Amino acid sequence: MTAPATGVLVIGFAGMTHLGVNSAAAAAARGFTTVGFDLDPARVAALARAELPVLEPGLPELFAEHGERLRFTADAAELGRCDVVYIACDVPTDDVGGSDLTPVRGLIATVVPTLRPDATLVVLCQVPPGFTRALGAELGRVDGSLIYQVETLIFGRAVERALHPERFIVGTADPARPLPAAFATFLGAFGCPILPMRYESAELAKISINMCLVAMISTANTLAELCERIGADWSEIAPSLKLDRRIGPYAYLQPGLGIAGGNLERDLATVCRLADEHGSDAGMVRSWIANSRHRRDWALRTVQERVVARVADPVFAVWGLAYKQDTHSTKNSPSLALLSGLGPFVVQAYDPAVAADPAFHPRIVGAADPLDACRGADALLVMTPWDAFRAVDPREIAAALRGREVIDPYGILDSAACRTVGLTHVTLGCGTDADET
Amino acid sequence: MLTHHFADPADPARVVVLGARGFVGGTLVAALENVGIPVLALGSADLDLAAEGAGSALAGRLQPEDSLVFLSALTPDKGRGIASYLANQRMGAAVAEAVERVTPAHLVYLSSDAVYPMTAGLVNEESPADCTDLYGVMHRARELMMAASCRAPLAVLRPTLIYGAADTHNSYGPNRLRRAARKDGRITLFGEGEETRDHILVDDAVALILRVLRHRSAGLLNLATGRSVSYRDLADKVAALFDTPVEVVGTSRQNPVTHRHFDVTALLRAFPGFAFTPLDEGLAKAHREMMAGA
Repeated sequence: MTAPATGVLVIGFAGMTHLGVNSAAAAAARGFTTVGFDLDPARVAALARAELPVLEPGLPELFAEHGERLRFTADAAELGRCDVVYIACDVPTDDVGGSDLTPVRGLIATVVPTLRPDATLVVLCQVPPGFTRALGAELGRVDGSLIYQVETLIFGRAVERALHPERFIVGTADPARPLPAAFATFLGAFGCPILPMRYESAELAKISINMCLVAMISTANTLAELCERIGADWSEIAPSLKLDRRIGPYAYLQPGLGIAGGNLERDLATVCRLADEHGSDAGMVRSWIANSRHRRDWALRTVQERVVARVADPVFAVWGLAYKQDTHSTKNSPSLALLSGLGPFVVQAYDPAVAADPAFHPRIVGAADPLDACRGADALLVMTPWDAFRAVDPREIAAALRGREVIDPYGILDSAACRTVGLTHVTLGCGTDADET
Repeated sequence: MLTHHFADPADPARVVVLGARGFVGGTLVAALENVGIPVLALGSADLDLAAEGAGSALAGRLQPEDSLVFLSALTPDKGRGIASYLANQRMGAAVAEAVERVTPAHLVYLSSDAVYPMTAGLVNEESPADCTDLYGVMHRARELMMAASCRAPLAVLRPTLIYGAADTHNSYGPNRLRRAARKDGRITLFGEGEETRDHILVDDAVALILRVLRHRSAGLLNLATGRSVSYRDLADKVAALFDTPVEVVGTSRQNPVTHRHFDVTALLRAFPGFAFTPLDEGLAKAHREMMAGA
């Protein structure tokens, strides 16, 4: 069979989520006519006006450059002209990381009747092992036209990841059979390795990637805490690990405030559930979960020790409410976890993308900018590592603050510059300042 | 983790304190009286919980609007054996029987960090209560007895080592070190005092119990400061409070070194802004009170 040319293929994405919008834009950028479908007409109308529902570096530029190949619709029938249709809706998780698959099933039920008989249906959102094969049996798609493809979306780097994937992990009913021609052409346009495997392997591969990341993060967090206690500095140690070929230059060794965002927690919960069901050992995974909770509250414990124990009725400046930079998502945000423990105190908060909301804290006050948040505060807490915060001059922070404490877990501000102007700068993984009294 | 039934604190109608003549009980009763909360203070002389019929006797004194604080226990310095264990369980059974008969408004049980194994260096409320001695098993069993028998909100508090001048126990901690320093001019450590422990001043422990009562809190909470020190450092601090030189000496080690630290995040969340008395300050207070009571 001759592979179809890029220019004649139409690729559809159902679910204009963070994943769906970025994936659709990347498909258009690779030269494919692209249809973006969503059940919400208001969201579709906004996208048609290039008003983006997500904050992602490079996405507006991608829309501006390739918008002529992007069409958005709330009419599922328009997916009928697509050669490949991706299901890209969000899979909500509960407080303990359990997945709610209702939206995926609902969207598939809407999309499938509109598809051409030869179209390939690709589940791109994350589903638990076993989901896709069961879906194939349910839909009668056991001929290779149902695919599960691993998504590797990273908030804040979604465009880069969608345009230049490291590889495609593709789950099929039978990996010995060739991929559908149109689908293979589409993936081939990205110029990266394609790894076909059985559904269950692909579904578990996504989880496996995240487990390896969690293992690295947990290791870094465990050792960073030890650094804080014994006077070592993890930022000095991490580069030496990255030069070890067995660890590598891209290893996740930056200490953080536990695991947030929802996706990693979902995979941790899934592995525990599967291990319990099948009698394999998940003790280590449960330790990672416990370590994540412990490190999430680093800022609260530090605040207690360095501020609450010393200052009556302190006022706190908080920079950052989102769970990480370049996103407006606050799911499992360490900043909000901190706020929930600062009950009686006034919190002056600023985030470039998230408005201060009384739901976050009963005494929260929204600030106009980072320095406005600092005015009269006894301590500054930098809870989300937005780049914009790096540009703030420590001299101005010192002038605005009433107290001297800067609790900056990610080390956004320059320690030496802070110390020069009389601020005490406390970061994750470094015991030097934390031991000062 | 605690859940507060009262978001805004409110004084209990009356607090019944079991173990009212003990170290923590006496301090709690004084604190309650100091803030004007009615108290029924019961010590073993008033009501022997280990005796036959104690359950019905206690039920006869309980009223539905009472907050009941169960502190009574034979502590390890009074015996670690089976007899103490069984006597403690009889007390637990009596209280369980009483709260089954008369459900109080609130039940606070003072357990112990002995429910955690010493193999866990850092513990929090989610750490397994994998007890390794009868004293720990006794407290864990009582926790379960209270949960099974009481329909009222139940707060289980697991304190670390509590210290203060009025402590009648002589377990290895600030009180024993202080008394040894005063009596002998010498503090003798196990090994070189490498073990680390968290020590909470009785005033702080009682202040937290008061908060639990006023919020009618339910759930599990460790009572600890989150800061542990080695016995060597503790001994040096105690010794430094005396005007005369106090020798701190080590001995050959008989047991492995163990450490205990607390992650007190749940406490910080339950009672934001609670400020613990710094150890130096607490030790100085206990020292002053001991000398004043000489």
